[in-house]
Amino acid sequence: MAEYFGTAVEDIFNTMEERFIPEGTHGVDATIGYNISGEGGGNWKVTLKEGTLKVERLDAEVTGCAVTLNAEAETFVGVTLGKIDAGEAFSGGKIRVDGDITILVNVLPKAFRQFTPVIWARDILATVRERFRPEKAEGVNMKIGYDLSGEGGGQWTVVVKDQTCDLKEVLDDDCTVVMRMEAPVFVDLNQGKLDGATAFTSGKVKIDGDIGAAGQTASLFEKYVAEGAAEEKGEELISLKCVPSINQRYATGPAVGRWFDGLKEKKFYASKCPNCERTLVPPREICAECRVRCNEFVEVGPEGTVTLIDVVYYASPDPLTGKIRETPYTALFMVLDGASRDESFAHDLNPKDIDRIKPGMKVRPVWAEKRTGSYKDLLYFEIAD
Amino acid sequence: MAKKNRNVGVIGIGQTEYSSHKEHQNQAEMVNEAVRYALEDANITLDDIDCVVHGNMELFEMVHQPDMWHALGSGAYGKDQLRITTGGTTGASLVCAADNLVASGMYDVVMAIGLEKLQEGHTTGGITNMADPLWFRHLQTGALTATTATMMMEEFGEDRAKRAAMKYRILMDKHACLNPRAHRRFGLEYDQLEDLMNTSPKLVGELRLIHMCSQSDGACVMIFASEEKAKAMCKNPVWIRDHITVHREETFNNFGLEMPEMTHHYAGRKLFERNGITDPVEYFDVFEMYDPSAWWGLDWLREFLQLKDDEHLKLLEDGEFDLDGKLPVNPSGGVTASNPIGATAMLRPAEAAMQIRGDAGPQQIKKEVKHALASGFGGTLWSVLIMLEKDLDWQEV
Amino acid sequence: MEISYENTKDCKVMTGKMALPNQYFAGRVGSKFIIALRDEHKILGVRCEKCNKVFVPPREYCEKCLSKLDESWVELSNEGVITNYTVVNYNDKHLPRRAPYILALVKVDGADTPFPHIVEGIDVEDVKVGMKVKAVFAEETTNTIRDLDHFEPL
Repeated sequence: MAEYFGTAVEDIFNTMEERFIPEGTHGVDATIGYNISGEGGGNWKVTLKEGTLKVERLDAEVTGCAVTLNAEAETFVGVTLGKIDAGEAFSGGKIRVDGDITILVNVLPKAFRQFTPVIWARDILATVRERFRPEKAEGVNMKIGYDLSGEGGGQWTVVVKDQTCDLKEVLDDDCTVVMRMEAPVFVDLNQGKLDGATAFTSGKVKIDGDIGAAGQTASLFEKYVAEGAAEEKGEELISLKCVPSINQRYATGPAVGRWFDGLKEKKFYASKCPNCERTLVPPREICAECRVRCNEFVEVGPEGTVTLIDVVYYASPDPLTGKIRETPYTALFMVLDGASRDESFAHDLNPKDIDRIKPGMKVRPVWAEKRTGSYKDLLYFEIAD
Repeated sequence: MAKKNRNVGVIGIGQTEYSSHKEHQNQAEMVNEAVRYALEDANITLDDIDCVVHGNMELFEMVHQPDMWHALGSGAYGKDQLRITTGGTTGASLVCAADNLVASGMYDVVMAIGLEKLQEGHTTGGITNMADPLWFRHLQTGALTATTATMMMEEFGEDRAKRAAMKYRILMDKHACLNPRAHRRFGLEYDQLEDLMNTSPKLVGELRLIHMCSQSDGACVMIFASEEKAKAMCKNPVWIRDHITVHREETFNNFGLEMPEMTHHYAGRKLFERNGITDPVEYFDVFEMYDPSAWWGLDWLREFLQLKDDEHLKLLEDGEFDLDGKLPVNPSGGVTASNPIGATAMLRPAEAAMQIRGDAGPQQIKKEVKHALASGFGGTLWSVLIMLEKDLDWQEV
Repeated sequence: MEISYENTKDCKVMTGKMALPNQYFAGRVGSKFIIALRDEHKILGVRCEKCNKVFVPPREYCEKCLSKLDESWVELSNEGVITNYTVVNYNDKHLPRRAPYILALVKVDGADTPFPHIVEGIDVEDVKVGMKVKAVFAEETTNTIRDLDHFEPL
């Protein structure tokens, strides 16, 4: 069977059931077609409906699904494993999507855990001799026992002696240290998915014997790198991630302050330029074109006329919360009644109107029940029927 | 026209390759790579540099005072240094500043450094934070918007507008494929046009993934010298003739029932007027334009070049923006191919200057390039325009 | 209604938050330095032959003469001398220790440039410029300079 990056196309579909997260598909009713061409490819139809999953392999090209993904087998596996950049594959036309792309973007990540090629404890231990670093083992004599329970488990002893290393498929009685854990924990530790200290502290790993020796083992061996990932193994380059969060205080000044007071009363206030007489929404203290102070407020709206509509499919983070927003959502540009014709105001559209909204339509504001004088007082605009 | 005490020439240009990530270099090391290339190109040493102008985007790498930290690679040790951070226009502002510093007589030789490591930050998050936190931030989607697409489809019909935008995008990719430093080189062909129009994932409205610029890591360095020094140090300096920077109010109020004059149009109008240029398409031999998306790029050609109605679409459809056309646009591949933001607007005059020198590489325009135009873009539709010349023979107006 | 300079009743202060995820790439030279600290408990520097200077932490190019330095590694001593210090007397969540603690500039033997680090194992009253110290390495890695946990008096 054709494999790409050490994985066959079939593996990805065969593991869908175990990767499925039923609670992630609440309210979902969708069919997804996959037409994977090239060697090892095939046609699959995946049906997600209210917490249930059906994966079918078809003999012919899949049609009639809510969304269908077409790609070469190598591209499909590469993107699934993260070896090929999905964005570039899309952009470059290597993946073609027919239908509602939002299903792929929004539904799939919630419905399935990420696919990872299955690695067994046995595979990892089999590489211990080649990963051994004799230069680190000068004067080290020890037997490291592994007692791994559960699926894929077993008992092994790694013998380090005279700067050599051997592996036995039995647990010797005279081990310097024995590490006991479930086999998947062992796999996760070796893949860097689980931190050793954390696993030990949380009781996932039990150590019998010399704890110091257990700590030493890490330096005796090169890190395990899964087959297929081997080509990426090179020099270690350090990167540090962090998410600083900054508290902000923002002074509104009197003009925008008045605007927020207006929202509390369900009113929109604009400032008016004494020179060109245009309205500024939300109000600003200075007309940037005439470079004069605006010293008058006028009430505009509350209804407006739509000028432009931006439907956003890209799931961007909400800058105020950092959370990824539900898509699609709509940014609406409008001219509020009584405002200058070249002065647009932008706000959200009620999601229910997304299919009906057209430029030139009249829209009205929908207010929050409880208003405190913040941008949250104005929920969104909707079509004024 | 803006008064210069003396003429200013570009005597050195250095660029890194542009890519999606550079784990092998820290920021200072990336800067250093471009600095060394520029010094090598100018055949001078750090001792010849009087002042360093440094710029990248605020909030993108989350390193404060990067000019200080990057001194490890920039060569600013013991020299005067300024930092400029004007968002997307940063690279162009650096060129304007360096030009002003030399033209004024303050310094004879100034090195301008633009850089970005977008992989180290959160670009959309950073851009979004430029908007008013109380009123516009929650609507912001970084630089992703389809307002121009909507207006173009309204004006020219959906099919023609979509085809033109995609033709522009494919043309940019064809140019990028020639440029060995370009980040994204897809190898797109015109027979994919319809397919891409319909299948490339939508980001916002008709702005699709393929239309949008990349997020790149990279640095660009340019060295500027006074006329006297430039002639002594360099056999083919490229002259900065004039530049203009135009801002608008920091709000998104310009999509009403009547459109105000775009900064792009205003910048072109003023700059050409004061330099006595009546037909920019005829006058210029290349235009390196800051085109953050295919839609914007195409629309802004009309604004910058003072074109009317569908003249820009016709020029595109007739192949006049191709490498062998009347006015080649972005032989480098432009911003949809490479976008290390703090450097992006400097790549424009840098690539334009290389076209004038005739050593742009595989993307070199075949016919002689004497007059070049370069643009920068940033903020809420701000524009910078820079004019470059091969010869010091222009007429003062 | 009028907007005037005297109008302060409409002036408000809104609070918010701004989260900015980012990552930092140490690069080849920086990575080699940290990995040596972490795995071998060694402090590495680079020598600029032209300027006759040993820099630590290392850098790819000399900031003065632009000589390439990333192949002129030197292994430095884990011992050094305090060239300057301060005592941190306030607590904040971003600080690595509870106050009071000593933040010193330590020049390790063989280097020409000192670097800042924490000094422990001595009363904050007793720290002195010129004091000899040695490196104590961290048991758990953070892949940062803190893989060298602190210096303590010899």
